Amino acid sequence: MNLVELGLYFALLSLVSVGGLPSVMPELQRYVVDVKGWLTPSDFIQAFAVGQAAPGPNVLIASLIGWKVAGLPGAFVALGSICFPAAVIAWWVAELWERFKDSPWRKAIQRAIAPIVVGMILSSGVVLATPGSPDWRLWLIAGLAAAGMLATKLNPLWLLGAGAALGALLL
Amino acid sequence: MSSIVPVAPPKTLRELFMGFFWIGVRSFGGVMPWAYRTMVEERRWLTHADFTETIGLCQFLPGPNIGNASIVLGKRWFGLSGSVVAFLGLMALPFVWVLALFVVYSDLSSNATLKAVVTGVGAAGAGLFIGTAIKLGRALAKKPAALVLIAACFALVAVARVSLLMVVPIALGVAVLAARRGWL
Repeated sequence: MNLVELGLYFALLSLVSVGGLPSVMPELQRYVVDVKGWLTPSDFIQAFAVGQAAPGPNVLIASLIGWKVAGLPGAFVALGSICFPAAVIAWWVAELWERFKDSPWRKAIQRAIAPIVVGMILSSGVVLATPGSPDWRLWLIAGLAAAGMLATKLNPLWLLGAGAALGALLL
Repeated sequence: MSSIVPVAPPKTLRELFMGFFWIGVRSFGGVMPWAYRTMVEERRWLTHADFTETIGLCQFLPGPNIGNASIVLGKRWFGLSGSVVAFLGLMALPFVWVLALFVVYSDLSSNATLKAVVTGVGAAGAGLFIGTAIKLGRALAKKPAALVLIAACFALVAVARVSLLMVVPIALGVAVLAARRGWL
Protein backbone atom coordinates (compact mmCIF):
# COMPACT_ATOMS: atom_id res chain seq x y z
CA MET A 1 0.00 0.00 0.00
CA ASN A 2 2.89 2.29 0.79
CA LEU A 3 3.91 2.05 -2.84
CA VAL A 4 0.55 3.22 -4.18
CA GLU A 5 0.41 6.06 -1.67
CA LEU A 6 3.97 7.09 -2.49
CA GLY A 7 3.28 7.02 -6.23
CA LEU A 8 0.11 9.08 -6.00
CA TYR A 9 1.62 11.64 -3.68
CA PHE A 10 4.76 12.07 -5.75
CA ALA A 11 2.63 12.45 -8.88
CA LEU A 12 0.66 15.27 -7.23
CA LEU A 13 3.88 16.87 -6.10
CA SER A 14 5.20 16.69 -9.64
CA LEU A 15 2.49 19.12 -10.71
CA VAL A 16 3.60 21.82 -8.26
CA SER A 17 7.35 21.26 -8.61
CA VAL A 18 8.16 24.61 -10.22
CA GLY A 19 11.90 25.07 -9.92
CA GLY A 20 12.50 21.33 -9.96
CA LEU A 21 13.51 19.02 -7.16
CA PRO A 22 15.10 21.63 -4.88
CA SER A 23 11.68 23.26 -4.53
CA VAL A 24 9.93 20.11 -3.39
CA MET A 25 12.52 18.86 -0.90
CA PRO A 26 10.79 20.51 2.11
CA GLU A 27 7.54 18.86 1.14
CA LEU A 28 9.20 15.49 0.56
CA GLN A 29 10.70 15.69 4.01
CA ARG A 30 7.44 16.80 5.59
CA TYR A 31 5.57 13.92 3.97
CA VAL A 32 7.94 10.96 4.22
CA VAL A 33 9.51 11.89 7.58
CA ASP A 34 6.96 13.92 9.57
CA VAL A 35 3.65 12.62 8.26
CA LYS A 36 4.40 9.03 7.26
CA GLY A 37 7.47 8.20 9.30
CA TRP A 38 8.90 6.12 6.45
CA LEU A 39 12.36 7.65 6.93
CA THR A 40 14.05 9.17 9.97
CA PRO A 41 15.33 12.78 9.68
CA SER A 42 18.84 11.37 9.59
CA ASP A 43 17.96 8.89 6.79
CA PHE A 44 16.54 11.76 4.82
CA ILE A 45 19.57 14.03 4.87
CA GLN A 46 21.81 11.06 4.07
CA ALA A 47 19.70 10.05 1.07
CA PHE A 48 19.86 13.68 -0.04
CA ALA A 49 23.64 13.71 0.38
CA VAL A 50 24.16 10.54 -1.66
CA GLY A 51 21.90 11.91 -4.39
CA GLN A 52 23.80 15.20 -4.47
CA ALA A 53 27.20 13.58 -4.62
CA ALA A 54 26.35 11.11 -7.39
CA PRO A 55 26.38 12.30 -11.02
CA GLY A 56 23.05 12.81 -12.73
CA PRO A 57 19.91 14.90 -12.34
CA ASN A 58 19.18 15.59 -8.69
CA VAL A 59 15.61 14.36 -9.10
CA LEU A 60 17.16 10.92 -8.58
CA ILE A 61 17.03 11.71 -4.86
CA ALA A 62 13.34 10.84 -5.16
CA SER A 63 14.29 7.33 -6.25
CA LEU A 64 16.43 6.90 -3.12
CA ILE A 65 13.45 7.84 -0.98
CA GLY A 66 11.37 5.32 -2.93
CA TRP A 67 14.07 2.72 -2.38
CA LYS A 68 13.97 3.31 1.37
CA VAL A 69 10.19 2.96 1.40
CA ALA A 70 9.69 -0.05 -0.87
CA GLY A 71 12.96 -1.33 -2.36
CA LEU A 72 13.61 -1.42 -6.12
CA PRO A 73 9.92 -1.11 -7.13
CA GLY A 74 9.77 1.91 -4.82
CA ALA A 75 12.73 3.50 -6.61
CA PHE A 76 11.08 3.08 -10.02
CA VAL A 77 7.67 4.26 -8.84
CA ALA A 78 9.08 7.29 -7.04
CA LEU A 79 11.17 8.47 -9.98
CA GLY A 80 8.45 7.73 -12.53
CA SER A 81 5.67 9.42 -10.61
CA ILE A 82 7.64 12.56 -9.77
CA CYS A 83 8.69 12.96 -13.43
CA PHE A 84 5.71 11.79 -15.47
CA PRO A 85 3.02 14.44 -14.81
CA ALA A 86 5.56 17.24 -15.24
CA ALA A 87 6.83 15.59 -18.42
CA VAL A 88 3.30 15.52 -19.84
CA ILE A 89 2.96 19.24 -19.07
CA ALA A 90 6.32 19.98 -20.69
CA TRP A 91 5.25 17.99 -23.74
CA TRP A 92 2.06 20.03 -24.21
CA VAL A 93 3.25 23.43 -23.12
CA ALA A 94 6.46 23.71 -25.13
CA GLU A 95 4.65 24.78 -28.30
CA LEU A 96 1.94 26.79 -26.60
CA TRP A 97 4.63 28.76 -24.83
CA GLU A 98 6.22 29.58 -28.17
CA ARG A 99 2.88 30.66 -29.62
CA PHE A 100 2.15 33.05 -26.75
CA LYS A 101 5.55 34.65 -26.93
CA ASP A 102 4.13 38.19 -26.84
CA SER A 103 1.15 37.55 -24.60
CA PRO A 104 1.09 39.70 -21.44
CA TRP A 105 -0.10 36.62 -19.52
CA ARG A 106 3.02 34.71 -20.45
CA LYS A 107 5.15 37.55 -19.18
CA ALA A 108 3.09 37.78 -15.99
CA ILE A 109 3.53 34.05 -15.35
CA GLN A 110 7.27 34.26 -15.91
CA ARG A 111 7.57 37.11 -13.47
CA ALA A 112 5.29 35.43 -10.97
CA ILE A 113 7.19 32.16 -10.84
CA ALA A 114 10.63 33.65 -10.16
CA PRO A 115 10.05 34.79 -6.53
CA ILE A 116 8.16 31.61 -5.69
CA VAL A 117 11.05 29.47 -6.88
CA VAL A 118 13.45 31.57 -4.78
CA GLY A 119 11.24 31.17 -1.70
CA MET A 120 10.99 27.41 -2.18
CA ILE A 121 14.70 26.81 -2.76
CA LEU A 122 15.59 28.95 0.25
CA SER A 123 13.12 26.95 2.37
CA SER A 124 14.62 23.78 1.02
CA GLY A 125 18.14 24.69 2.11
CA VAL A 126 17.03 25.67 5.60
CA VAL A 127 14.81 22.62 6.09
CA LEU A 128 17.52 20.24 4.88
CA ALA A 129 20.10 21.80 7.17
CA THR A 130 17.72 21.27 10.10
CA PRO A 131 16.88 17.57 10.24
CA GLY A 132 15.20 17.00 13.58
CA SER A 133 16.27 19.57 16.15
CA PRO A 134 18.41 22.58 15.17
CA ASP A 135 22.15 21.87 15.18
CA TRP A 136 24.62 24.74 14.86
CA ARG A 137 27.22 22.47 13.26
CA LEU A 138 24.99 21.67 10.30
CA TRP A 139 24.09 25.34 9.94
CA LEU A 140 27.77 26.27 9.99
CA ILE A 141 28.56 23.78 7.20
CA ALA A 142 25.56 24.96 5.17
CA GLY A 143 26.50 28.61 5.71
CA LEU A 144 30.08 28.03 4.59
CA ALA A 145 28.95 26.12 1.50
CA ALA A 146 26.53 28.92 0.58
CA ALA A 147 29.24 31.55 1.10
CA GLY A 148 31.72 29.46 -0.91
CA MET A 149 29.28 29.19 -3.75
CA LEU A 150 28.58 32.92 -3.82
CA ALA A 151 32.19 34.02 -3.43
CA THR A 152 33.94 31.58 -5.79
CA LYS A 153 33.41 29.75 -9.06
CA LEU A 154 34.40 26.37 -7.69
CA ASN A 155 32.69 23.26 -9.00
CA PRO A 156 30.06 22.48 -6.35
CA LEU A 157 31.72 19.10 -5.83
CA TRP A 158 34.56 20.85 -4.01
CA LEU A 159 32.08 22.46 -1.65
CA LEU A 160 30.44 19.11 -1.00
CA GLY A 161 33.93 17.73 -0.34
CA ALA A 162 34.57 20.50 2.17
CA GLY A 163 31.25 19.59 3.79
CA ALA A 164 32.45 15.99 4.05
CA ALA A 165 35.67 17.05 5.77
CA LEU A 166 33.85 19.35 8.18
CA GLY A 167 31.34 16.61 8.88
CA ALA A 168 34.14 14.24 9.84
CA LEU A 169 35.66 16.88 12.13
CA LEU A 170 32.56 18.26 13.79
CA LEU A 171 29.82 15.67 13.78
CA MET B 1 40.52 26.06 -35.22
CA SER B 2 37.55 26.23 -37.50
CA SER B 3 34.42 26.52 -35.44
CA ILE B 4 32.38 26.44 -38.63
CA VAL B 5 30.79 23.08 -37.89
CA PRO B 6 27.15 23.85 -38.61
CA VAL B 7 24.51 23.44 -35.93
CA ALA B 8 22.30 20.47 -36.74
CA PRO B 9 19.96 18.33 -34.66
CA PRO B 10 20.82 14.67 -34.05
CA LYS B 11 20.03 12.49 -37.06
CA THR B 12 19.05 9.27 -35.34
CA LEU B 13 17.39 8.24 -32.10
CA ARG B 14 20.57 6.41 -31.24
CA GLU B 15 22.54 9.63 -31.51
CA LEU B 16 19.95 11.40 -29.35
CA PHE B 17 20.14 8.66 -26.75
CA MET B 18 23.93 8.73 -26.64
CA GLY B 19 24.01 12.51 -26.28
CA PHE B 20 21.72 12.51 -23.27
CA PHE B 21 23.44 9.42 -21.93
CA TRP B 22 26.72 11.34 -21.87
CA ILE B 23 25.11 14.29 -20.16
CA GLY B 24 23.75 12.02 -17.42
CA VAL B 25 26.93 10.03 -16.93
CA ARG B 26 29.32 12.96 -16.68
CA SER B 27 27.26 15.41 -14.70
CA PHE B 28 29.15 15.47 -11.45
CA GLY B 29 28.31 18.60 -9.52
CA GLY B 30 25.32 19.76 -11.57
CA VAL B 31 23.78 18.80 -14.88
CA MET B 32 23.38 22.10 -16.71
CA PRO B 33 27.04 22.86 -17.48
CA TRP B 34 27.39 19.36 -18.94
CA ALA B 35 24.20 19.68 -20.92
CA TYR B 36 25.59 22.89 -22.42
CA ARG B 37 28.96 21.38 -23.17
CA THR B 38 27.47 18.28 -24.77
CA MET B 39 24.67 19.81 -26.82
CA VAL B 40 26.08 23.21 -27.76
CA GLU B 41 29.85 22.81 -27.83
CA GLU B 42 30.59 19.18 -28.63
CA ARG B 43 27.68 17.82 -30.65
CA ARG B 44 26.45 21.17 -31.89
CA TRP B 45 22.79 20.24 -31.81
CA LEU B 46 21.73 23.70 -30.66
CA THR B 47 22.95 27.28 -30.77
CA HIS B 48 23.78 29.06 -27.54
CA ALA B 49 20.67 31.23 -27.86
CA ASP B 50 18.44 28.25 -28.53
CA PHE B 51 19.84 26.39 -25.53
CA THR B 52 19.32 29.37 -23.24
CA GLU B 53 15.76 29.84 -24.40
CA THR B 54 14.87 26.16 -24.02
CA ILE B 55 16.35 25.95 -20.54
CA GLY B 56 14.58 29.19 -19.66
CA LEU B 57 11.27 27.58 -20.57
CA CYS B 58 12.10 24.41 -18.66
CA GLN B 59 12.85 26.39 -15.53
CA PHE B 60 9.33 27.76 -15.52
CA LEU B 61 7.70 24.39 -15.94
CA PRO B 62 7.18 22.04 -13.02
CA GLY B 63 9.55 19.08 -12.91
CA PRO B 64 13.31 18.61 -13.14
CA ASN B 65 14.73 21.23 -15.52
CA ILE B 66 17.00 18.91 -17.43
CA GLY B 67 14.31 16.21 -17.51
CA ASN B 68 11.96 18.73 -19.10
CA ALA B 69 14.66 19.72 -21.56
CA SER B 70 14.98 16.09 -22.65
CA ILE B 71 11.21 15.94 -23.22
CA VAL B 72 11.02 19.25 -25.09
CA LEU B 73 14.07 18.69 -27.30
CA GLY B 74 13.26 15.03 -27.93
CA LYS B 75 9.80 16.05 -29.07
CA ARG B 76 11.13 18.82 -31.28
CA TRP B 77 13.49 16.45 -33.10
CA PHE B 78 11.71 13.10 -33.16
CA GLY B 79 8.25 13.45 -31.62
CA LEU B 80 7.11 11.15 -28.83
CA SER B 81 9.80 8.54 -29.39
CA GLY B 82 12.40 11.31 -29.15
CA SER B 83 11.09 12.43 -25.77
CA VAL B 84 11.09 8.90 -24.40
CA VAL B 85 14.54 8.09 -25.75
CA ALA B 86 16.13 11.33 -24.54
CA PHE B 87 14.61 10.97 -21.06
CA LEU B 88 15.72 7.35 -20.73
CA GLY B 89 19.19 8.17 -22.00
CA LEU B 90 19.50 10.90 -19.41
CA MET B 91 18.29 8.86 -16.45
CA ALA B 92 19.36 5.28 -17.18
CA LEU B 93 22.90 5.12 -15.87
CA PRO B 94 22.67 7.76 -13.13
CA PHE B 95 19.66 5.85 -11.77
CA VAL B 96 21.65 2.62 -11.50
CA TRP B 97 24.67 4.45 -10.18
CA VAL B 98 22.90 6.39 -7.44
CA LEU B 99 21.06 3.29 -6.22
CA ALA B 100 24.26 1.25 -6.20
CA LEU B 101 26.03 3.97 -4.24
CA PHE B 102 23.17 4.14 -1.78
CA VAL B 103 23.10 0.37 -1.27
CA VAL B 104 26.83 0.29 -0.61
CA TYR B 105 26.47 3.25 1.72
CA SER B 106 23.53 1.69 3.59
CA ASP B 107 25.69 -1.36 4.31
CA LEU B 108 28.44 0.81 5.74
CA SER B 109 26.36 3.46 7.48
CA SER B 110 26.72 1.88 10.91
CA ASN B 111 30.23 3.38 10.74
CA ALA B 112 29.93 6.62 12.72
CA THR B 113 32.67 8.50 10.84
CA LEU B 114 31.21 7.68 7.46
CA LYS B 115 27.79 8.75 8.65
CA ALA B 116 29.26 12.07 9.85
CA VAL B 117 30.97 12.58 6.48
CA VAL B 118 27.78 11.94 4.54
CA THR B 119 25.71 14.13 6.84
CA GLY B 120 28.30 16.86 6.28
CA VAL B 121 27.84 16.47 2.52
CA GLY B 122 24.09 16.79 3.05
CA ALA B 123 24.51 19.99 5.05
CA ALA B 124 26.81 21.41 2.36
CA GLY B 125 24.22 20.44 -0.27
CA ALA B 126 21.62 22.34 1.74
CA GLY B 127 24.01 25.30 1.75
CA LEU B 128 24.26 25.13 -2.06
CA PHE B 129 20.48 25.52 -2.22
CA ILE B 130 20.67 28.55 0.06
CA GLY B 131 23.41 29.98 -2.15
CA THR B 132 21.32 29.34 -5.27
CA ALA B 133 18.34 31.08 -3.70
CA ILE B 134 20.46 34.12 -2.83
CA LYS B 135 21.93 34.20 -6.34
CA LEU B 136 18.49 34.08 -7.95
CA GLY B 137 17.03 36.41 -5.34
CA ARG B 138 19.53 39.20 -6.04
CA ALA B 139 17.85 39.86 -9.36
CA LEU B 140 14.57 40.45 -7.52
CA ALA B 141 15.93 42.48 -4.62
CA LYS B 142 14.67 45.81 -5.94
CA LYS B 143 11.07 44.69 -6.09
CA PRO B 144 9.37 44.90 -2.68
CA ALA B 145 6.49 42.68 -3.80
CA ALA B 146 8.94 39.93 -4.79
CA LEU B 147 10.63 40.10 -1.39
CA VAL B 148 7.27 39.86 0.34
CA LEU B 149 6.41 36.79 -1.73
CA ILE B 150 9.76 35.15 -0.99
CA ALA B 151 9.33 35.82 2.73
CA ALA B 152 5.76 34.54 2.72
CA CYS B 153 6.72 31.33 0.91
CA PHE B 154 9.57 30.82 3.34
CA ALA B 155 7.39 31.40 6.40
CA LEU B 156 4.74 29.00 5.15
CA VAL B 157 7.01 26.23 3.88
CA ALA B 158 10.08 26.28 6.11
CA VAL B 159 8.63 27.63 9.37
CA ALA B 160 4.94 26.67 9.46
CA ARG B 161 5.57 23.54 7.34
CA VAL B 162 2.41 23.96 5.31
CA SER B 163 2.08 21.55 2.37
CA LEU B 164 3.41 22.68 -0.99
CA LEU B 165 0.20 21.41 -2.53
CA MET B 166 -1.48 24.36 -0.81
CA VAL B 167 1.27 26.94 -0.95
CA VAL B 168 2.27 26.75 -4.62
CA PRO B 169 -1.18 27.20 -6.21
CA ILE B 170 -2.11 30.05 -3.85
CA ALA B 171 1.26 31.79 -4.13
CA LEU B 172 1.14 31.43 -7.90
CA GLY B 173 -2.33 32.99 -8.08
CA VAL B 174 -1.31 35.93 -5.91
CA ALA B 175 1.97 36.37 -7.80
CA VAL B 176 0.31 36.38 -11.23
CA LEU B 177 -2.12 39.07 -10.06
CA ALA B 178 0.77 41.08 -8.64
CA ALA B 179 2.70 40.68 -11.90
CA ARG B 180 -0.31 41.84 -13.91
CA ARG B 181 -0.38 44.99 -11.82
CA GLY B 182 3.28 45.57 -12.59
CA TRP B 183 4.53 44.89 -9.07
CA LEU B 184 6.88 42.09 -10.07
